[in-house]
Amino acid sequence: MGDSIETKIGLEVHVQINTKSKLFCGCTTEEGEPNNNTCETCMGMPGAKPVTNKKAIDSVIKICKALNCEISTPSFFSRKTYFYPDLAKNYQITQYETPLGKEGFLQVENTKIRIKRVHIEEDPAALEHAGGGTLIDYNRSGIPLAEIVTEPDIRSPEQARNFLKKLINILSYLNVIVPDTTIKADANISNSKNNFIRAEIKNVTGFKEIEKALLYETKRQQEEEVTKQETRRWDGTKTIVMRSKETEDDYGYIYDSDIPKMTFTQEYINKISSSIPKLSDERIRELTKIGVSQEDAKVITQDLFVSDAFEKIAQKSNPATAAKWFRKELLKRLNADEKQIKEVNIEALTEIIKMIHEKTITEHTGRELMTKIYDKNFSPIESIKKTGATMIKDTTTLKKMCEDAIEKNPKAAVDYKKGEEKALNAIVGAVMKETKGTAKPDEVKRIIEEMLTTL
Amino acid sequence: MTTIIEQVKMFESGESCDEYAESFIEEAKKINKKFYYFTEFCNKSSKRGGALSGIPVTVKDCICVKGVQSRASSAILNTYTPVFNASSVQKTIDEGATITGKTVQDEFGFGGFSVNVGIGFEIPRNPHDEDRVCGGSSGGSAGITAITKHAHFSIGESTGGSIVTPAAFCGVVGICPTYGIVSRYGLMDYANSLDKIGPFTKTVLEGAVALKVLAGHDTKDSTSTNKKIPDYTKITEKSIKGWKIGYIDPEGVEEPIRENLHESIQEIKESGAKTEKITLPISDEYAIPAYYTIALCEASTNLAKYCGLRYGAQEEPKGFFDEYFSNIRSKNFGKEAKRRILLGTFARQAGFRDAFYIKALQARTHIINEYKKIFSEVDAIITPTMPILPPLIKKASELTPLQSYLSDKLTVGPNIAGLPHMSLPTGKHKSLPIGLMITADHYEEEKMMTLGVELEEKNG
Ligand SMILES: [Zn+2]
Repeated sequence: MGDSIETKIGLEVHVQINTKSKLFCGCTTEEGEPNNNTCETCMGMPGAKPVTNKKAIDSVIKICKALNCEISTPSFFSRKTYFYPDLAKNYQITQYETPLGKEGFLQVENTKIRIKRVHIEEDPAALEHAGGGTLIDYNRSGIPLAEIVTEPDIRSPEQARNFLKKLINILSYLNVIVPDTTIKADANISNSKNNFIRAEIKNVTGFKEIEKALLYETKRQQEEEVTKQETRRWDGTKTIVMRSKETEDDYGYIYDSDIPKMTFTQEYINKISSSIPKLSDERIRELTKIGVSQEDAKVITQDLFVSDAFEKIAQKSNPATAAKWFRKELLKRLNADEKQIKEVNIEALTEIIKMIHEKTITEHTGRELMTKIYDKNFSPIESIKKTGATMIKDTTTLKKMCEDAIEKNPKAAVDYKKGEEKALNAIVGAVMKETKGTAKPDEVKRIIEEMLTTL
Repeated sequence: MTTIIEQVKMFESGESCDEYAESFIEEAKKINKKFYYFTEFCNKSSKRGGALSGIPVTVKDCICVKGVQSRASSAILNTYTPVFNASSVQKTIDEGATITGKTVQDEFGFGGFSVNVGIGFEIPRNPHDEDRVCGGSSGGSAGITAITKHAHFSIGESTGGSIVTPAAFCGVVGICPTYGIVSRYGLMDYANSLDKIGPFTKTVLEGAVALKVLAGHDTKDSTSTNKKIPDYTKITEKSIKGWKIGYIDPEGVEEPIRENLHESIQEIKESGAKTEKITLPISDEYAIPAYYTIALCEASTNLAKYCGLRYGAQEEPKGFFDEYFSNIRSKNFGKEAKRRILLGTFARQAGFRDAFYIKALQARTHIINEYKKIFSEVDAIITPTMPILPPLIKKASELTPLQSYLSDKLTVGPNIAGLPHMSLPTGKHKSLPIGLMITADHYEEEKMMTLGVELEEKNG
């Protein structure tokens, strides 16, 4: 039944820009004791005035350009007035008529998701409900946020997830957001069955929650009749109708004349554009050309720094082997060790990958060498020389070891001959132990099989 | 009576700055008992030396002085004590002055007579007739400047005429510079795109000395100008010979004021300048509605922050936050403040925003262009500052809001256009002073004050 129903989803995504100081004052954006990172401006004291953080503006222009937007010039700030305890001035300085960026798009697989607008605004303070009361922490007040708004071009929750993944990937490549930042989004959802009457889901926090909320709401709208536009919130398991809130038009936007309008020359915009690194789409294309599998390329390009490291290593070794090693070994290890790629001794990593590709060492040995990969003075080649862990290429020696192993495991040999294939593993394992992992398990297995069948 | 310039010299030759400040405060307290110019007294100075060394300075209540209760004469800011100095105050202190008190005003600047003081504040009295108004909104600043026997100046503020109006009614010099010349940092905003800080003094030259200190770029106010500030004190060496002065002879002006205007026109001619009658039809028709629309839209957002949560009037929090906010705001804002918040909020709502707010912004552009065109032909414009003599407090309090807004007719034009303008006393009717307003092109403060000095000399 749901198959013929067309769903439309639009997203409004909020991300924190990674500047050192706040958007309109010199206070730090670092975490601190509640209300310590504040001043008269971010506390909304009478007489205080905003002074724009240029770095934050440049970062958002960078986002706009990466999302193929046109830059508004002039662009100015507006006041969005509403009364709420987390809002220091009871108005938020945001953008209305002239967002920094407009009319862009983001290509997600085969679909072009249009970007309606990208603007910059200040974050309100954080509210904490405690001990029957509410506490306000103004440390967050004035932190720069970028709001990225799509047209309702997204067709499913899965596509929304892919869009967000791609978006976060680009933002991290641009180095404009706080790493592992919590993404917040509002979503509007509608479908053809209900004449595209929209429901808005407000303020869903976290990547997974956004997808869950969208899945729930899409399904609900397919099953239920939607007759009027409404605002809903996500409680973790379902969406609930909220008391009808003001629409955007009811905030009584006026220009914030404390802040002069911003104008950008083409030269200025070009300069910012030129600081955008090669993004993942292009990198994936390039990697697959040099023999890296699509799957590996996608995983490697998820992170700019991993991707940069890979490009360096791939130049000196076999790209396909390197890619496999990155995906199967390196990234898992970084994750397990809670380390970052910049902590890795890249030269050592290159040596390991080279030796594996040239079959000088086994993957098993490679894995062992990886335990020292954060040591800046570590040389895998030297280490192998010392331990003699180079792969046994001498078949005579290997055959001798296999013979010995069969002799020591007569029961396993008999079982195998009876047809229990698994019995072979005990003999192979014994050989591997004897060789300290310097033999290739496949090779050992082949030799033993041969020996047992000819016995 | 000694001027600021003379008094600074006397301090250099040994007179005690501290004793002088004490003496001023003592006098001011005495005056206050009868005229109600002050909301707060203080004695703040740092190092001496500098252009204002030892000079007692008073500050309009809406301009923040660190550690001194600053309330814009509103009950909603009761107990609020700023943690920082306004840049204009800091500059004054840096030049050696003593900050001696905060002066009363219409609540948040909302008025032209200083009768709209906040709940719990006294209406200041005209220095020449206690039953009459001081003018507003910087009424206290103008009043103390008129009465004190000390060398002194007051830092005032104008959004739509709040410097020149009380200057005219009190018979002192009030200078409102080009928008952006004096930093607004630390000024409690009425309307951010219109607010300007300027000095009240007894003479034009003293005004020039004060303005020179106040003016200049400030990184804390993004709208403050980057232009180099000329040495305004050179105005006495300049002449208006060969200039062309435009004058506006508006209808509905009280006769003694009209006569006074024509005396000034005559004096200008005697000084070797040409005069020419001009009209500003666009400004005449649209300045008042455009001004009130923009000012009230901005004011309604600026006053949103006053809700009893972070500073100022507070109560035990009860109920939902919106009930609490409404309760505090209902109790502590005066009637005119409420009216302006409501009007401003209405005018920027969906459905009206384009018809009012956006239209008013367009009207402002047309008004500026009209002035620009006139200033391509004349060096300065003169008009009466106020069409009326200072009214009785009782009468002013009974005016309808519209009648009251219309009395800003002559002062609103230069204010909405951000043009420098000043009022100086050019005569009297019985005991009541008459003020003349001079308006010049943007950043032409020197021209404006040069003409001021010339007319001041003619009036002895
Ligand atoms: Zn701050």
